[in-house]
Amino acid sequence: MVGIIDVALPIICLVAFSLLTIPVFRVIRKSQHRIGLMLVWFATVFAVSGAAVANLTAKYYSVPSPSFMNITLTGEPYSSLSSAFMIDAISIYMAIIFIAVSAVVVFYSLFHISEDERLSGRYFAIMLMLTAALTGAVFSGDLLTLFIFWESAAAGSSFLMIYKKTRASLNSTLKYLVMIIIASAFIVFGLSLVYGLTGTLNFWAVRDALITLSDKHLLLIAFVFIATGYAIESAIVPFHFWLPDAYTAAPSSSAAFLSALIDQGSYYVLIRVLVFILTPPAVLNWTLMLAVMSALTMIVGNLFALIQTNVKRLIANICVADVGYNLIGITSVTATGLMGNLYFFLIGGITTALSFMAVGLINHYGFKTLEDFSGLGWKMPFVSLALLIAGLSFAGVPPLGGFTAKFLVFTAAIEANMSWLAVVGVLTSVIQTAYVFRLVNYMYGRRPQDETRIKESKRMLIPIFILVGAIIILGIFPQIVFNLIQPSINQITFFP
Amino acid sequence: MTVPYSLLLVFILPTLGVPLAYFAAKKSTKAAGILVALIALANIGLVLSTLPAIASDSIYQESYVWIPILDARFTLFVDGISASIALISLVLILAATLFSINYMEGKKNLPVYYALLSMLSIGLVGVFITSNLLLFYFCWELMLVPAYFIVGGWGYRESYRAAFKLFIFTHAGAVFVLLGIGAIYMTTGLTDMFAAQAALLSYSGIARWILIALTAGFAVKMAIVPLHMWLPDAHSEAPATMSALLSGVIISAGAYAILRLSLGTVFPAVAGTEFGSSFLHGLAVFGVISAFFGAFIALVETDIKRIIAYSSIAHMGYVMFGLSLYSSAPIVGAITITAAIVGTVLHIVNHAVSKGLFFLSAGAIMHQTEMRDINEMGGLAGKMPFTGASSITAALSIAGSPPFACFVSEFLIFVGAFEIISVDGFYTFPTIFMLIATVLSLAYSLRFIYRVFLGQSRSKNAGQESESEGEKKVVDAPTFMKLAMGILVIFVIILGIYPAFFINLIKTVAII
Repeated sequence: MVGIIDVALPIICLVAFSLLTIPVFRVIRKSQHRIGLMLVWFATVFAVSGAAVANLTAKYYSVPSPSFMNITLTGEPYSSLSSAFMIDAISIYMAIIFIAVSAVVVFYSLFHISEDERLSGRYFAIMLMLTAALTGAVFSGDLLTLFIFWESAAAGSSFLMIYKKTRASLNSTLKYLVMIIIASAFIVFGLSLVYGLTGTLNFWAVRDALITLSDKHLLLIAFVFIATGYAIESAIVPFHFWLPDAYTAAPSSSAAFLSALIDQGSYYVLIRVLVFILTPPAVLNWTLMLAVMSALTMIVGNLFALIQTNVKRLIANICVADVGYNLIGITSVTATGLMGNLYFFLIGGITTALSFMAVGLINHYGFKTLEDFSGLGWKMPFVSLALLIAGLSFAGVPPLGGFTAKFLVFTAAIEANMSWLAVVGVLTSVIQTAYVFRLVNYMYGRRPQDETRIKESKRMLIPIFILVGAIIILGIFPQIVFNLIQPSINQITFFP
Repeated sequence: MTVPYSLLLVFILPTLGVPLAYFAAKKSTKAAGILVALIALANIGLVLSTLPAIASDSIYQESYVWIPILDARFTLFVDGISASIALISLVLILAATLFSINYMEGKKNLPVYYALLSMLSIGLVGVFITSNLLLFYFCWELMLVPAYFIVGGWGYRESYRAAFKLFIFTHAGAVFVLLGIGAIYMTTGLTDMFAAQAALLSYSGIARWILIALTAGFAVKMAIVPLHMWLPDAHSEAPATMSALLSGVIISAGAYAILRLSLGTVFPAVAGTEFGSSFLHGLAVFGVISAFFGAFIALVETDIKRIIAYSSIAHMGYVMFGLSLYSSAPIVGAITITAAIVGTVLHIVNHAVSKGLFFLSAGAIMHQTEMRDINEMGGLAGKMPFTGASSITAALSIAGSPPFACFVSEFLIFVGAFEIISVDGFYTFPTIFMLIATVLSLAYSLRFIYRVFLGQSRSKNAGQESESEGEKKVVDAPTFMKLAMGILVIFVIILGIYPAFFINLIKTVAII
């Protein structure tokens, strides 16, 4: 049986390690083998936290056909304001991918940051703390706990953006923080309405109360506030404009972390709140509104990516487009859609992280615009290959992971009788192919100005190629991930 | 005797070939070329080993666990149609690889080239031997990515521009295919093309849209006018080996996919309706337009490879016309194999060898003379007798003159057309137009032969050629090029004189 300690352990571990990271860094900073020692330190961190998650997973699946498990501090399952955890197969899955992807990104950051300047322990402490907050968010069982954990992750990520303290990063972080604060205010107001309507914040209690609610006018207002708040945080068009600025100004390692973890966390929150609690059509029928936003997000994200000349900004715009593809799955509210979403979280996350990492390595040598990327395929063959594979995955070329993810969300749209959304998705995919291949044409089709081969940093290539391998293997054998996703599909009874 | 796992091995061998060819080419490019060629040869043997099973059961299948949650199995099969097209693709891969050994000599990054060639051959054959729609799409796109890099990396002039066009156009087509496959999966819950055929029968409403999406997507690959814009550039800028594979196999894959998926899997759901017959009439009209368009442009082009590229468009017009003769009566399960179906499949096969040979010969000419404008050539028959003979064989086959390959299949398509005319009067005019197009194809083929091989050299410096010092003397193609062209010449002639092997093979097909 899963106890409160099993659930709290991964979070506690990550927070404790995060706090310890600063003194540990201070001790080993002077050492000659500091990079090696830091690697050992982070290996320990992720081994222990991974073990904590593994323990939770094992305990959760030890029950035959496990379903949703409410775990509270007080022992009362549904008590009105008690902070509570809820574990289901989705939480477990999200926690696993958060820990795994975070590990790769942290290792990359270690090398990336140490290339430039003196290492800052705080940077890594914040990364670990954010991972802890995200893990807490996916384990939370009521709207308030979710709000607390998720907002701390969202607001905390501004530290990663501002790391370099350049003018651009200060500007974009300010923009981001203002947006986040507005979003939080919206969400809090919406939550207070929900609490007023139902007298509880626990997921299932809220849901049961809302289904029987006769007058839904107030709920509609609450929905508008909550949805707008979360739409701002997940950068859905028309609330997306902070994202390209923030990701471009942030260091590449931060951008990788944000796109792989915070972005995916925001989609998770959308699924939890919109699909699980405000389930259409039983509670509130919001599908058309979100479908339109999804179409807009795909169109705007891809069109803006098409006109970028700065490669990092191009990839930041792909992140916006990815929000749109994820929204297709959320909007369809079907088993295929949920499966597609959960798979997309992993693949989309690692693909964007991979491209930011590759671009970070390339930026390091001063290549920033498309023009600079001319002939890069010959100058830096390995990192160009990684960027190429990421691009192909974005474009949905099999056998890479991006293909299976897109296939699932498009089929979900057809299943939900929204074929037009699938057609929009398919057409924007073509735009995506166009700009990806524009980049590839620059990298491989043009002669560079000087053909000297640049020596690529091997230790930065290792985390990059781990992700490349993951994209290829998970693309050919998606069943590896589906085995983890399948229980969550079986648990949900309210899907058609 | 059937080799166990023979079709799985067809996938595995070229996959292993990718790293092997890469490292072999670091030592010697000749070794890498021979390695890739041997893999193709082994695959030919593996496909041939399934023929007894096809003869007795009409189909040979293998099935492995793949993605249980999507109900997708790694299903491989060969029957008469797929075996014949897969065999001819492998022959072309073999010839193109042998051809590369001389043709690519001295170019840069050859290890990558041979690795890409091996990767390409996974998709090129895989697309014909799988019945799982997802796996089909995997192979479909696997044809494209290596093709992009081969065209871009080792092509002529602005090759990456042509490659970009190739990728964007055919990928745009492919996403419509994906949409169609998604819709099939959604309505039936199946990803097997044979199982889906019966399941789709009760969904004739959505089947229309699936049919249109799939056919439009495949028609891009087939380069049917007006979706042909990518083809002339890609074919003419690509290296000759890639042109041969593009024109021989990749666009044939589009035709095969229309036959298997559009007409085989989805069409029965709308067969017998008014939509069904007007869909087939539409195919006939587009076929005629393509045949005329391609032939007319080929008549006026002066670039040696663009002539052949446009003739590919014309020939895909024939194939499309042949496909439109598919019986519009409701059909489930077993079908009668009409002359039109046999003719169409045989034309895919014959066109593949003839066009492969044509492009390889043109490649040999360009490689040896470094010219590509046919107005500057002339009198090459005396200087390059072997290449001349092979080009003339290819050109006459493309023109549809006996005893070469394409004559038989064109004849069969027309037999099929006359059979249909007695039932459906619509086909009268398209058939007449197609017969006229045949004359045009003879015209451009003869023009090609005359301009390139006969008469006097019209090169700008023809007068002082013998005197000038640095002028490279034009000699015939080197050994491996000759070997590659020789293999295809034999096939073109044998297929013309003794077509019975493939006709009998195609006739064993029980379901499409």
